[in-house]
This record gives sequence, structure tokens and C-alpha cells, in this order.
Amino acid sequence: MNRIILKAGCALIPAILMALGAVAPASAEGTIRIGITLRMLVENGLKYGQMAKDELDAVNATGGINGNKIETILLDDECKPDKGVANVNRFIHQNKVHLIMGSTCSSVSLPMVDIATKEEVPQIIPHSTNSSITQKGSAWVFRTSVSERFYSAVHAKYLAENAGKKVAYLYTNDGAAISFARDYMTYMRNTYSVEPLYEAQMQETDLDFRSHLLKIKSLNPDVLAIGGQIDAIARIAQQSYEIGIPSKVRRVSASAASNAPVPELAGDAVKGLIFAAAFSCTDERPVAQKFVKMVQEKYKVRCPDHDFSQAYETAQIVKLALSRAKDLKLTDASLAADRKAIRDALATIKDYQGLASGPINFCADATPQCRDGNRTGILVEYTKGGKDYAMRVLASVSFEPDFGLVKK
Amino acid sequence: MNDKGNTEIAAPHRLRRFLPWAVGFAALLALPHATVNTYQNYLLNVILINIILAVGLNIVKGFAGQVTVGHIALAAIGAYASAVFSVHFGLPFWLALPAATLFTGCVGAIVGIPSFRLEGAYLALATLGLAESVRIFISATDYLGASIGFGDIPAPILFGRELGGHVAYFYIVMPIALLSIYFSFCVLHSDIGRAFKALREDPLAAAACGVNVRKYKTLAFVISALYAGCAGSLQAHMAPGFLHPNNYTITEMITLLLMVVFGGIGHVWGGIIGAVLVTLIYDFTRDYYQYQLVMFGMVIVLTVLYMPRGIGGLIDRWIATRRFVTIRKAKTNVA
Repeated sequence: MNRIILKAGCALIPAILMALGAVAPASAEGTIRIGITLRMLVENGLKYGQMAKDELDAVNATGGINGNKIETILLDDECKPDKGVANVNRFIHQNKVHLIMGSTCSSVSLPMVDIATKEEVPQIIPHSTNSSITQKGSAWVFRTSVSERFYSAVHAKYLAENAGKKVAYLYTNDGAAISFARDYMTYMRNTYSVEPLYEAQMQETDLDFRSHLLKIKSLNPDVLAIGGQIDAIARIAQQSYEIGIPSKVRRVSASAASNAPVPELAGDAVKGLIFAAAFSCTDERPVAQKFVKMVQEKYKVRCPDHDFSQAYETAQIVKLALSRAKDLKLTDASLAADRKAIRDALATIKDYQGLASGPINFCADATPQCRDGNRTGILVEYTKGGKDYAMRVLASVSFEPDFGLVKK
Repeated sequence: MNDKGNTEIAAPHRLRRFLPWAVGFAALLALPHATVNTYQNYLLNVILINIILAVGLNIVKGFAGQVTVGHIALAAIGAYASAVFSVHFGLPFWLALPAATLFTGCVGAIVGIPSFRLEGAYLALATLGLAESVRIFISATDYLGASIGFGDIPAPILFGRELGGHVAYFYIVMPIALLSIYFSFCVLHSDIGRAFKALREDPLAAAACGVNVRKYKTLAFVISALYAGCAGSLQAHMAPGFLHPNNYTITEMITLLLMVVFGGIGHVWGGIIGAVLVTLIYDFTRDYYQYQLVMFGMVIVLTVLYMPRGIGGLIDRWIATRRFVTIRKAKTNVA
């Protein structure tokens, strides 16, 4: 038995070493390496991930940026923090990337920020909205998505002024839904001193919300706030009409409502549902319509949502920053200096006008005021449900850099 | 005279018994310095933690034959318990680790109770319910970070020095993993191990032979939970010190089961081989994320169809064949 243990141990340890050695690729000198980690295995996830990679890789066809080629590594983190941590460790230590782009879910971006900060690698976040990401005070982190501290106020202010202040909250227990409901409640409490008319938290997997909706109906609310992921939003919207909550009660939802399956699943029940987002495919600006056409043709998506627009926008900002980065030597010895130069170049992005409704601004201070680049949210309303769903932009709201921050 | 003679025989025997472990320990000490980059050290730590988890699962499932799919929930309990002890109660890692391990062991005793009356698919369903309940409870509890996650869990500190780096952390995880493997060998070759095997083969026959079925079923769950709690605690304190309920879903449980099944269910090396291979294969296929789940699904199906006893079973067969050939050769020579 002892001999077997000894032999097995002797075989296993070199086997691990050989296997590890086989997967350690040599980092190519003279190229800018960018690691992208996003939630890919969801509706359209593979497409917007590929789009971000394609946008960055496209510069190689025209000679690169300042003569430097770009090498991108695209990985899926499945919206799981351990996968995101593994990806970012691999990017930093194995691929020796100069910049990290990601992630989609806030729960993945949060631990990634800690690693990027410790290892001093610039990170740009295209999708995550949790306010605390930039409040960690990392000098290495930038965000192009709209922070929750802005989002929550976009619909709260509009609805309080146009629909009423009696709000019933029904939401599931996923992070985004909880944040949506709590931020809305906090805004109403702090701004109008109004307490929730009704509040209930359900499970993500719940199918029947009618008992809560019947109670809500009896309370005669002005607004029904629906927090959840795609299927929960569609179900609650549908069931709210089934039990007879009239259409004059405004339905508002978390930004997950911008995903195409919501109007497709909910059908006409989605009509009148409003949500805050960073982009709408009905945006008539030429830059937006050019982008929509590109996504339709290349990625076969009829109406790209803000996950697409933010991934695209982040790629454009990265290219702009790389073109401004000074003295990139792109050798193993200059890795730390190159990473710092790219971080400093990102901090110079000012008044970037792209797909977002407002300009994107970064600056050097490691504060949320400097690193939450996009401070403009738009309010979108569905005007038609089903496969041929339609929507319109109700309002666009820009905020001051320190809006929603607790003053110390 | 007789006693003295026995001692003289026993001492070298004991030495020989520990020799492979000492050689293994010495070889593993050098392992972080033989890697190419820090990512590989990170991967080594993940492999070692997975080994602890898989070896623990192998005890309850492979040795004792209890069909549990709640092992990942026990790891979650260990991880969150350790995080709470460290962050909310201010315990250092060196106290949080054993406290979380013991706490999870106690939970394991409770988890073992349904196994008195349930078997097979019914026990699997009961433990699956536990796993989902734990995950949902964490998702809905602000004290545990809810769906946002539990962060800022401190790394171990030794003599004022933080052991947050992957190489330093290896020297904490590795001895614990090695001890846990050694302990599983000891359990397997003890009366307890024999009772577990009897339970696995036929609980009624085991009871008829005087094995206390309830006691040993509970013990299997407790030992397995101690492993899960320890692995969970090590996960919690590994950089960047962040926990999230999404890391303890049914997908992670299936991956863990795959480690044990692929390595060889009930085989003493099964959990170890499975944890090493599955973690490495998972990492190698990370670039092919579109096909990763399909590939893993196929590995499970093919393993069950063509290698039901896993790689451990193949090793056993190879050893048995070699012995048979040797004996046959010896007999032929004598003749």
C-alpha cells in the first residue's frame, strides 16, 4: 500500500506540473494585451462579448494603435465571482494583460476590483452598476456603465412628478432587483418622506405573484415597482393585468426590462412599462442608428439593448485611451509602466460623446465622482409588446458627479 | 522480552508507514517554486481545496454509499461561518478555520438525520433541498452579504505577516490537504471504514452483523461535513476574500460529483485524482466556454457508461492484473 501511495504521489505531482507548464503561453512582446471577461452564456451574451472583441481586434487590420497590435482574450465568467476571479488572475499573471475589461455582474466586478487594485492593472467596467464598485477608492478602476446611484433617481423623480408617490414594491431576491427596490425606496424616503405602500420580496424561481398583487390592488397604488430578472418581470407584468390592476397604475421595472425577451414573453402586458437604461435602439441620433444597423447586420440582433451599447462604447474608449497612452514599450520589463501609462490615459477621457445619452468623463482622482464616467440615464417606455415590440424614450436625466454620495 | 521485540519491529514499520507522506510533503513544498507563473500557484490552491472537498464527499458517498447532493451547501456553510467569525466577531484565521470546520461538522450531524429513513434518490432529493435552502437563505440575508456578496474577508496573518499571496497561501492549504488525505486513508483502513463499506454494500446485512447503522451514517455525514467546512473556510480566506451564493449552486455540486465519479467513486484515490483532473480540464477548456458544459456533460455520460469505477477503478484493475501475471509467472517458473 505504501508503495502505491508513493508511486501515485510521484506520478501525480509531475503530471500536475507538466499540465500546468503546457498551458502557460508565452506573452508576445510588442502587442497590447487586453483581457475581457463578461457574462456570456445568456441571451445575446455571446454576441456582445464577441462584438467587444471584434471592435478591439479590428484595429489590427489598419496597422494597430500607434503601430502596436492588439491581442484580446475573451472569457466567460457566468456571472459567478469565483469564475471572474479565476479569469482575472489568469489575465494578470498568465496572459500578462495591460488592461482588463469586465465584468457584467456587479458581484463579479467587486472582487475583480480588489485584484486589479492589488496587482496595479487598469480595469474598465462596461456593465456593472453597483454603486460600491467605484466607492472602493481604487486608482485603477473606471466604469462606463451608469451607476445605480444615478439610475435609481431617474425613474423615481419622473414617476413622483408624473404618476404619484404611492408606490408598491414587488421584487425577487437577486442583487440587481434588491438594489433597484431599495434605492427607489431610499430616494422616495429621503426626497419626499414617503414610505412604501407595500413591499414584498420573492424568490427568483417563484412563478405565481398573484397573492401579493391582489393585496397591492386593494391598496390602490400610483406605481407598481417590479424588480427581477427577465422572466420575473414578464410574469409580474402579465399577472398584474390578470388580477385587474388598472393600466393607470404605472409599472416601472429594473433595467433588466430592457432585454428583448421581456416584451416577447409579456406580450401586451409590457405596454406602458417603463425602465431606466443607458441606451435605447430607438435613439434617432445618427451615431446610435449606425450602431444599431451594424449590430443588426453583423450580430443578427433586431434591437440591441444597453448591454450591447455599453460593451461597444467601452471598446471605443479603450481604443481612444490606448492611442493617447504615452511611451508604451510593451516588453515584459515595462509591463508595470505600460499598465500605469494606460491607466493615466484612461483618466484623460473627457466629454466622450458616443452612444450614451450624455458625455463620458473620467479624471485622475480615485473617487466615484471621477470614475463613474456616465452620469446620464434615460427613461424608456414600451409602447407595444410581443415579437414586434416597440419603445420610446420618455426622458433623459443627467446628474452632478457627487449625486447620491453620502457626504462625510 | 516479547514486548521489547514487538517495539523493535513496530518502530521501523511506523517509520515506513509515514515515509511516503514525508516524501510527498517534501515534494509538495517545492511545488510552488516549480510553477511558471503566479496564476499556476492560484490554480494549485484551487486544486488542493477541491481535493479536500472531493475527498470529503468520497467518504460519505464512496465509502458509506450515502447519495448526497448537499455537500456544496456544507462548503458554503463552512465558508460563510469562517467569514462571519473573522469579519463580524474579529477572530483570526487560525481560530476561524477550526471554528467553522466544527460548526459545519455539527450541521453535518443534522444533515445526516434524514439518511436514517431515506435512501438513494429520496436522500438525494432531501440533500438537494438543503443545498438550495442554504443558497436561498444566504441570498436573502443582509448579514451574509445577500446577493451582493460577502467581501473583505481577511487573509491569514502569521507573526504579523499577511499570507494573502498565492504562494504563501499554498503553504497553509497544502499541509491541510495532505492531512485530510492521510485522515481519509486512516478512516478507510479503520473499523469505521469497514463499517462504512458494510453500510454501502447492504445496510440490513451490516445491522445484522452488529454495525450501528444510525451511528455510522451520522458519522459519515459529520466527517464529510468537517472536510467541506474546512475547504469552505479556506475558500473564504483565499484572496480576494469574497463569497457569493452563486458559487454554491447545483452546477458546482455536479462538478464536485464529477470529480468523485471521474476519479473513482469509493476509491481512496478517487477524490484526489478527480479533483486534480477536473480542475485542470476545466481550466484548459476555459477558452472554449461555449462548449464547456457540453464537454463536461459528455465526460459524465461516457465515464458512467464505459468507466463506472472511474480512473481509480482502472488503476485497481491494472494492479490486480499485474499481481495475477506475477503470481502466474512465479507458478510457471516453479513448475
